[in-house]
Amino acid sequence: MRPFVLLAAAAALTVFGLAGCGEPEQVVFYEQGKYHGKPDQRPWENAPPAYGSAKWTKGDEASWEQEVKRRTLGQNEYVRIVH
Amino acid sequence: MANLARVLGWVGVVAAFILAGAAHAQPVSSNQELIQQQQQRRSEQPGNNAPVWREIRSGQPQFNSVPGRESGVLIVSSGQTWRALRDGPIMRYGGWLLVAVVVAIALYFLLRGPIRLRGKPTGRMIERFGGFERFVHWSVAITFCIMAITGLVILFGKVVLLPLTGHVFLSWLAALSKYLHNFVALLFILSLIVTIITFMRDNLLQAADRKWIATAGGLLGGGEVPSGRFNAGEKGWFWIGVLILGIVVSITGLVLLFPNFDQTRETMQIANIVHAIAAVLFMALGLGHIYMGTIGMAGAYRSMRTGYVDETWAKEHHALWYEDIKSGKIQAKTEQSALGELQRQH
Amino acid sequence: MARMKFLCDAERCIACNGCVTACKNENEVPWGVNRRRVVTVNDGVPGAEKSISVACMHCSDAPCIAVCPVDCMYHTEQGVVLHDKDLCIGCGYCFYACPFGAPQFPQEGAFGLRGKMDKCTFCAGGPEADGSQAEFEKYGRNRLAEGKLPLCAEMCSTKALLAGDGDVIADIFRQRVTVRGKGSEVWGWGTAYGPPKGGQKPAPERSKP
Repeated sequence: MRPFVLLAAAAALTVFGLAGCGEPEQVVFYEQGKYHGKPDQRPWENAPPAYGSAKWTKGDEASWEQEVKRRTLGQNEYVRIVH
Repeated sequence: MANLARVLGWVGVVAAFILAGAAHAQPVSSNQELIQQQQQRRSEQPGNNAPVWREIRSGQPQFNSVPGRESGVLIVSSGQTWRALRDGPIMRYGGWLLVAVVVAIALYFLLRGPIRLRGKPTGRMIERFGGFERFVHWSVAITFCIMAITGLVILFGKVVLLPLTGHVFLSWLAALSKYLHNFVALLFILSLIVTIITFMRDNLLQAADRKWIATAGGLLGGGEVPSGRFNAGEKGWFWIGVLILGIVVSITGLVLLFPNFDQTRETMQIANIVHAIAAVLFMALGLGHIYMGTIGMAGAYRSMRTGYVDETWAKEHHALWYEDIKSGKIQAKTEQSALGELQRQH
Repeated sequence: MARMKFLCDAERCIACNGCVTACKNENEVPWGVNRRRVVTVNDGVPGAEKSISVACMHCSDAPCIAVCPVDCMYHTEQGVVLHDKDLCIGCGYCFYACPFGAPQFPQEGAFGLRGKMDKCTFCAGGPEADGSQAEFEKYGRNRLAEGKLPLCAEMCSTKALLAGDGDVIADIFRQRVTVRGKGSEVWGWGTAYGPPKGGQKPAPERSKP
């Protein structure tokens, strides 16, 4: 009787403990182009500032991304060196 | 028995030292070796910075001109472990444990009902708790409930309340909970210490407790086992709940409450995990105690509210304590209750 | 579709702390908070000194979002991790979880009581109206809404710190590694963005000399 109870308790504890090893998904992973947050204005929903050289069409995501990409490539000094 | 008390006292002290030790633990320094390796690499394999990456991984603080605790540490990996534990097993098991305890108590109450007096109340009242004892008990009880509820809001609010209340209300509630949890904590710790001192003597284990434990106090049937002023169930709550879990929760809580003693993130992660586990267990045991002290047993709540119990209640639930009072071993005030007067007249 | 990332080139960073200063000035960050910091490994040791500038890396599987008890943090479409200071309660859990030490708290009152969390926003502001005074006061400048990139990277004098779409800056870095033939490791990317997809490395392995 006694060993059986102990064995059953040990088995239950093991099953219970093992269940804790599984890791549930805790956060929404970033997915390309999917917006998870609460309402927030997107960058391309603004008009480009009046000053400076930035140009995109208000509300057009692709043109904003083009502008940001142009800006990003400005960090590559190799394209600025005249060969 | 005094030994047991001493051992339990040490548990708190040891826990404090472990946490303090973790705050100052530094990984074994092999810095010089890695620096030499990196210098060698410069001539042999330029651009291979593996020793530097290893040095960064060790978590030792490096030079940094920005003042601040751990600002020289580039990366800490233990946060991932903390997150996996907190959002995983602790929330899952902790949450379901509390639900299971509530369900079990509810089922027990529905099936068996409250424990009522078998005999007729005599009307002769015995003082069970003095004024100071009641004051201490209610101080710790009220602060415990505030700490438990605010703690639950912070741990489970996102899972349980967010779908019901939305972000704004939950944020307001959680901010309130944070402040209550932080400030009531000090009152709770103070009243916990006084509680431990006040009730320790009568909670020392006796020979009669062995039988009580063996039969689970007659909760499952078979009649109630005679016990002293406190039965083994109450003693278990005192030693395991109030003393051990209470001290563990207090020490880890203080580590988290005062982050301005230069404790590292790792120390606070460990403290937070221990705090959460101990607190959930504390609440689970506390639910049992609250049940027995309110709706679970007739007369129990009155005894802590007014301080007096009926002689019949004492005889049925704490026979040894009752005998000690009758034989004059324990001095206790007695009183005729209004109820007793009425009963005698009719 | 852009996925915004930071990249710090340990071969180029000279620990001038220009990025730290630029960030403080552009965003007018609260007292006691540094959104970006430069850490120098083996400071002053000839041949072994390397510096890295670190701020919020805007992780894909962001631990801060996972542990926030009031769910005040979110990913934007560009993968930028932002937070709502109106909801933040200052519990410090994001600070425990973050591997990079990005979330910071201005002290509010006595005994280290935490105020609302502050961290790098990739110069993308917060949920307030873009370019508004409220947004600036809480989160700093919203440069993405102006078609610009984070100032720390844009003004980096050695171009050690790159910011922008992960693919674009990886291309810039790849070209750089090919030209100099060394130093291909991008620190922190494994932790922040997970293993590269499709077995692609962010930069090619250095050819053996």
